[in-house]
Amino acid sequence: MDISKPDTTVKCWVDLYSDKMYSWAFHKTSSKEIAEDIVQDTFLAAFQSISKFEGKSEPKTWLFAILNNKIAEHFRKQFRNPTVTESQSGSSLFDTLFDANDQWIKEQRPKEWQGEQAHLLDDVAFVKVLQGCMGKLPINWMAAIQLKYLEEKKGELICQELGIAPTNFWQVLHRAKLQLRKCLENHWFKK
Amino acid sequence: MLSCKKATELIEKRSLIRLSFREKVQLRLHKSMCDACTAYEKQSKKIDELLHNHIHDTDMEHTTILKNETLKEQIINNLPNS
Repeated sequence: MDISKPDTTVKCWVDLYSDKMYSWAFHKTSSKEIAEDIVQDTFLAAFQSISKFEGKSEPKTWLFAILNNKIAEHFRKQFRNPTVTESQSGSSLFDTLFDANDQWIKEQRPKEWQGEQAHLLDDVAFVKVLQGCMGKLPINWMAAIQLKYLEEKKGELICQELGIAPTNFWQVLHRAKLQLRKCLENHWFKK
Repeated sequence: MLSCKKATELIEKRSLIRLSFREKVQLRLHKSMCDACTAYEKQSKKIDELLHNHIHDTDMEHTTILKNETLKEQIINNLPNS
């Protein structure tokens, strides 16, 4: 590979990796338009900073690092722009789980899940349920979940990049986890 | 005494940030008296593990590869100096 000719190199990378990158971005964002924009942006960024690529890592690894940054940027945007209906659904979720004294409503009290739980992600049916439950989360709750697990970063750093107080972030995660837990229980763990 | 809602909030907070000494004590005390929140914590950790492995799965083993020739052309056309 000759990085003295950036356009030839990048064109070659587009040919080799763009389908994989597009598929990954679509898998993360569930939107073709957004995935296309993100991959486009990634190659543009790669082209502009190709002098920093010294061939120390595989081109694919380098491109995917940029891609994952762009995906995180997308979720940060989604997190910051919740709609009114989304911020309301937080209180109605609490009302379905907790009583007026903030204690579990009797039939909602968590009980131990039964059954084998070691290799759930190898089970296609379970992955489908998990994805379905994630898809039902309000956009900004889903964004918070993605940001927490996509990048192995400390909570403080995620909040710093979002420009918000940590309280706002874990409160959204709290709601997201409560809803996700309930959904998984209803569709999988409850016999 | 913590409410269950607050206890579950602290359980989620802890997965992100260190709890203060006071919060740790309050949570431990609450769980010692509340089976539901103890079960919640266990399930919350399980969900963390599932989400971590599901979202972080960069080997793309479970991702369907989509072809997008239009996108390829578009990217190449939009590159500077080409």
